[in-house]
Amino acid sequence: MNEHIIELNGITVRKAKDLLLDGISLGVSRNEFVGIIGPNGAGKTTLLNVIAGLERFEGTLGLFGRQESWRRCRETRLRVGYVPQLFQIDPAFPILVAEAVMTGAIGRLGLFRSPGRQERENAMRLMEMMRLAHLAERPLGQLSGGERQKVSLARAILQQPDILLMDEPTANLDIAVQKEVLNLIDEIHKQEALTFLFVTHDFNMLPSAMQRAVLLDHGKKVFDGDIDTALSGDTLSRLFRYPLETFERNGRRFVSYG
Amino acid sequence: MAEHLIEALTYPPIQRAAIACVLCGASCSLLSVFVVLMKMPLIGVSMSHAAFAGAVLGLLLDFNPFLSGFILCLLVAGVLGPLSDRTDMSPENMLGIMFSFLMGLAFLGMGILTRTKAGALNLMWGSLLSLSRSDIWVLMFITSVLVLFVFLFFKEIRSVMFNRRLAAASGVPERMIYYALLFLTGAVVSSNLATVGGLLIFALLVQPGATALQLTYNLKHFFLISAASGIGACVSGLVVSYIFDLPSGASVVLMATAIFAASYVFSPKRRLAKLKGSDTFHENDAR
Repeated sequence: MNEHIIELNGITVRKAKDLLLDGISLGVSRNEFVGIIGPNGAGKTTLLNVIAGLERFEGTLGLFGRQESWRRCRETRLRVGYVPQLFQIDPAFPILVAEAVMTGAIGRLGLFRSPGRQERENAMRLMEMMRLAHLAERPLGQLSGGERQKVSLARAILQQPDILLMDEPTANLDIAVQKEVLNLIDEIHKQEALTFLFVTHDFNMLPSAMQRAVLLDHGKKVFDGDIDTALSGDTLSRLFRYPLETFERNGRRFVSYG
Repeated sequence: MAEHLIEALTYPPIQRAAIACVLCGASCSLLSVFVVLMKMPLIGVSMSHAAFAGAVLGLLLDFNPFLSGFILCLLVAGVLGPLSDRTDMSPENMLGIMFSFLMGLAFLGMGILTRTKAGALNLMWGSLLSLSRSDIWVLMFITSVLVLFVFLFFKEIRSVMFNRRLAAASGVPERMIYYALLFLTGAVVSSNLATVGGLLIFALLVQPGATALQLTYNLKHFFLISAASGIGACVSGLVVSYIFDLPSGASVVLMATAIFAASYVFSPKRRLAKLKGSDTFHENDAR
């Protein structure tokens, strides 16, 4: 039997009178790469926040076979990495690239322990993988958006999680940088035995490792299945309330906005 | 002039004022690193008014004003923490309401204070020359706790200041660090009511951190520069006030502003940003 590493049952999130998630149920198996796709306001980020333990919710959430509330123990938090949307940072903020990557190891180290040689080597290996090593001593605020997203990715991997949540990691990046970040995500998927949840609303910029898509609309799950079926013109047109067509090129499916 | 100053230092009230200046500068400037980097100046101003309002209420109820100031600070910290985590209310609006409420409470207390208002005015502006030995011990204890906190939790502090939500998601005890900071802010502010006072202390909670922000990208250096500029402002302010017979609290704040202005003018970070900006301009121009 395929045991789910993430198990959501009737997850509901309310903010004042708004229903951000409405009874979402979902199971994700180990090493799966799942896309969470939907228009703005569909509840994609809220769903990731629930799994990351950053949002109060109703319903039941199982992680690694254990029932969890939004307040959870450090051990569970360590096993869930989070790559947020590109966030602004004051260019004068006193943190260097290597230090920002190293913040990913702080939770695992625990109190009163400083990063040792092992952590520094791991951080350097990841920075080399992300082609950031030459920027290690640069202030983070001086980096471009794409470089900062790669720092976020390296920071999350350094945490050594079992689940990696990514919230539109390629949003607000130019096309070449988006492609570079997606290639890195595919590379990480090949190298590390991780379960991925990848939030996006850009169907033409999906990692090739994505096997399954969950479509959300107004806080409800409207589709859960393989990525090719999800990327059909009819399904997407209904979801986005806009006529969309899909076509194939080089074995990949693309969406035309008409 | 130097002989005159050294002679003045032989008097116990001046000695206590000098020690208090160093402690006040150190404690406020360490806190200002958090206030500036976590962009929470309104929390600083709310806490300083809480200490002031609590102390005025203490005077009104014949209770130790510094203890009552500290208690109100702790209460406000306990309320501000959960409220600032709420996403259905703008933190700026909520802090604005809290700040004006505390200000109103302080002035209400002053209005109905039947006896002399000199004590209350001292709480507002500070009174370095009338500090007691116990005031110095309290300041010394709280400054030591703050230094120890920064030293022991430096890596967690860096992680929380960088991004609170990311720190929380990755297993860093973000709430513990944040609440400890709020309570330490309360302790530092209330213990410094007697040195620079409840109104002027706000300047020392912002300006040393803002000065360091102009000068370094290294967080360890940031704490050191901030502490040096805070202590420098306090000591030079005291000297200026002694020489020119000016109010000490106001002199300290004006010196802190002068140090910040100098750091802004000579900021290597700003010069670098300007250079990068002009490079970008030329690159775009060439296209």
